[in-house]
Amino acid sequence: MTRYAGRIYRLAYGITRSSADAEEVVQDVFLQLVQKGAGFEGRAALSSWIYRITTNTSLNKRRGKRRELETSLDELLPRYRADGHRDGERAFLVSDWSGTPEEELLAGESRRILEQAIDLLPDHYRAVLVLKDVEELSNEDVAQIVGDTIAAVKTRLHRARMALREQLTLRLGGRA
Amino acid sequence: MICRELIDILDDYLDGALAPEFVRDLERHLEGCAPCRAYIATYRKTREVGAAATRVDMPQEMKARLRRFLADKLGGA
Repeated sequence: MTRYAGRIYRLAYGITRSSADAEEVVQDVFLQLVQKGAGFEGRAALSSWIYRITTNTSLNKRRGKRRELETSLDELLPRYRADGHRDGERAFLVSDWSGTPEEELLAGESRRILEQAIDLLPDHYRAVLVLKDVEELSNEDVAQIVGDTIAAVKTRLHRARMALREQLTLRLGGRA
Repeated sequence: MICRELIDILDDYLDGALAPEFVRDLERHLEGCAPCRAYIATYRKTREVGAAATRVDMPQEMKARLRRFLADKLGGA
């Protein structure tokens, strides 16, 4: 049973961004799992159920604590000119920090910037981001877990990644 | 293809899910557009580091607390 604890914690932490909240989610999910009993047809059905319950429990836990509004994400997305080309200063538009080694981006001040950028995302955006990029589920599976269409999941993923990229470029770009 | 169109289909391109004619258009655009080359490189890196930053392990002491919690709950059930 505890083989699932790590996955549940990772997803719960990814959504709630709080270790204490994630721990409560893990406990809640295990209790629900015990109450539900062994009514799963195979491991895939169990995994899918666990992801769904973990996502819902985590989002419920965040309800009321949510600071962000989905509309505010628009401020974090790329801006375009009327002709469809990106708007902004040339230095920002061509800023490329992708050569920075991953270990450097995941440490110190860069890590803090990255964590803050992830925190800025709305909860349900973080949910699809973790399910897709960390748990490496298909778009179909993610859509089923979050109860949305595949198209909506893809849009949310793209918006989340664009918002993250924009924040990272704004704050890391000058160092590249 | 213009920058907005390229960015709209970026995920499909990076996932290899784009039709060949769109791939050709996109790569032709990239050849002449430095901002889009920077965008695609940093977008790809964002996907990688975003996932890596969220890939956290459950602390050992929390695992121990979970075992105790479950033993209490199940033992009392």
